[in-house]
Amino acid sequence: MVNFTKLNVVFRREYLERVRSRWFLIGTLLGPAFFFAIAILPALISLRQRPSTDLANVIVIDATGAGLGGRVSDALLKAFPQSPPPRVKVVSAGQLAGTEDSAVAAVVAHEAKGYLVLDTATLAGHSVRYAGRNATSINDVQAVMSSVKEQVLAKRLENEGLDAARVRRLTDAKLETRTEKIGDKGREKGSGVGNLVFGYIVAFLLYMMIALYGQNILRGVMEEKTTRVAEVVVSSVSTDTLLAGKVFGVGLVAVTQVLAWVGLSGAMMFYLGPILMERMGPGAGAAAGAAAAASRGLPMDSITGALPTPGASLMILGYFVLGFIFYAALFAAVGAMVSSQEDVQQASMPVMLMLISSVIFMQPVLLNPGSALSRTMSLIPFTAPIIMPLRMSLIAVPWYELTASLGGVALACIAAIWVSARIYRVGLLMYGKRPSFAELARWVRYAG
Amino acid sequence: MPDLAIDIRNVAKRYAEHVAVRNLSLAVPRGSVYGLLGPNGAGKTTTIRMILNIIVPDSGSISLFGQSHLSNGATDRIGYLPEERGLYKKMQVRRVLKFLAELKGVEGKEAERRVEYWLERFELKTPEKDWGASKIDELSRGMQQKVQFIGTLLHDPDLVILDEPFSGLDPINAQALKDTIVDLKTRGKTVIFSTHLMDNAERLCDSVCIIAHGDKVLDGDVAEVKAAHGSRVVALSVASESRARIAPVLADRALVARADDQNRYYEVELAPGADAQVLLHRVVESGAAIERFELVQPSLHQIFLERVGATGVEEGMSGHG
Repeated sequence: MVNFTKLNVVFRREYLERVRSRWFLIGTLLGPAFFFAIAILPALISLRQRPSTDLANVIVIDATGAGLGGRVSDALLKAFPQSPPPRVKVVSAGQLAGTEDSAVAAVVAHEAKGYLVLDTATLAGHSVRYAGRNATSINDVQAVMSSVKEQVLAKRLENEGLDAARVRRLTDAKLETRTEKIGDKGREKGSGVGNLVFGYIVAFLLYMMIALYGQNILRGVMEEKTTRVAEVVVSSVSTDTLLAGKVFGVGLVAVTQVLAWVGLSGAMMFYLGPILMERMGPGAGAAAGAAAAASRGLPMDSITGALPTPGASLMILGYFVLGFIFYAALFAAVGAMVSSQEDVQQASMPVMLMLISSVIFMQPVLLNPGSALSRTMSLIPFTAPIIMPLRMSLIAVPWYELTASLGGVALACIAAIWVSARIYRVGLLMYGKRPSFAELARWVRYAG
Repeated sequence: MPDLAIDIRNVAKRYAEHVAVRNLSLAVPRGSVYGLLGPNGAGKTTTIRMILNIIVPDSGSISLFGQSHLSNGATDRIGYLPEERGLYKKMQVRRVLKFLAELKGVEGKEAERRVEYWLERFELKTPEKDWGASKIDELSRGMQQKVQFIGTLLHDPDLVILDEPFSGLDPINAQALKDTIVDLKTRGKTVIFSTHLMDNAERLCDSVCIIAHGDKVLDGDVAEVKAAHGSRVVALSVASESRARIAPVLADRALVARADDQNRYYEVELAPGADAQVLLHRVVESGAAIERFELVQPSLHQIFLERVGATGVEEGMSGHG
């Protein structure tokens, strides 16, 4: 039985005590700075670094006997004008092994970033080898390889009798890539990458808020229990009302914090964006908007275009509310179960595992939001609150899947509240060792 | 039917391993100070929690001032001080108190006014220092106890339930609590407190109920209870050289249920059905030089011993219950 006057009293205390606390203020102020640091700084750094990249600082070992090395060298220098120029070593097939050894020594001595081996197989269009310190960086290798490919193609065209100048003109095609998403209603504003970033931010924010504030509830319940204030409180208000007030109060703290973050970030973007734009050049303005997008040089409207429709926003809010209630109820039950800080880690493990499992699957879902795995994860009630909003911002999810998923989460929510309220009622005034599963089951049975 | 603050009828509470309260009926007259006595594990705290609707009884009914304790706002008339005390450590004293008052249905502004009154009354707010603005964990233990009392009384409850209120109190706060109990009674409030300290109960209570192992052993007006047990105990003292003469008399189980050698005198409990006059006669017959023969009113402690047994008392003394 929930008494609404008392619910309001509990709710106000839970909300105000948290919002008034120093940690909330610090978290709220530092949040955007933190996001800025982890998300936008790398983008800015990569922007700053791009002109000074030294990708052409390689040794080109040319065993083709057709002068391909020289052409590749020229092309690399043209692509990376500020880099130290490549050194070309024209060798015969027999000298290859020895030259490679000395190239390795040069890379080790930091005289070059790596070396490129061009041989007859390269000319035949089969293979090319690159070895170097940055060989694991896909972007670096791709950048080098695109120059190599271009020259191999040009050389092969010339070998077929085309005029060198014409070949150069034909192969010099710098394509600027613009992507556009197509949904059920046809063309949509914004690019796929923008959606990716937005979906990732939303899913991560959902996870973070549920994890942080779920555990916050756990600590709050445990505090009431260990300080023994719980008994006074439950003599005035039913445990159901207390639990509900707690979940709503803390939930609203989370919402308040997110809104404050959005507001602050918006203000930062508004005031700092133009400054960044000026200092970094036009490409960097987007950096203030969203980091990953900025690093790919996306224009601003791809971000705004990724913002969800009002309907989708409502759905995301729905997932947050239900997901939060689900996990908050479970965390509250864990808080009522334990009597000491040492027990918390172990007792909260099952709940944490459920929550973390949604994060583990974020990457595969990002890469392939339509796969069977993604569909399954967005239907399982304890991963759905995070995975479904992620999928929704990537692709158009059919309505029946949305209904099933949201319905499942709602049912799971009711089940979690039912079980947790019982554990909470009994556990809050039980001290001593942590209950076993058999004892927990008994609590749930007896609490009726 | 007398005006009852609490009327408990046939209440029982069983747990998986044990029976906390077997079949308890209690009647607490309105305006009285009522002692709930019993050893550790007797079921006192369980009974109190059932009155407060923290625990739901398996069977039986509980009425507060003639209404079911489940009826709307019924438990708001109770002020409760649990045995294990504690408050929100990081919260400001004023806000904790206001919160507790509002939980009992006192409206915000009125709650604030009362908080100020009580802070001043308990000297937590003086012209030099206002502890109301401090956080709970900045207060000394004694001051925290005061705050907890205030929290119990802020909503001007008609019924105050104190579970082992004297345990852990410093002498000054113990005195303040005693004064408060007396003050509440003069204002027509009902006070129930549980204790295993019979001295406190004997001094403060109008009525008592002794429970042990989840059962009621006895209850009633303290004076009546004592009178009912009065004629059963004799203080007997003889000249030391004639102590041996009365030994056979005291060993007669038909006459003497228990003879407790107090060094300077024997505390003799008569066997059921035995007459004090017969005992006197036998002692005179034995030729012992009698120095004292007195029918005494037993203390609650003795009544407790008699009715609950030594084992119960040992348990009771080993902890709080």
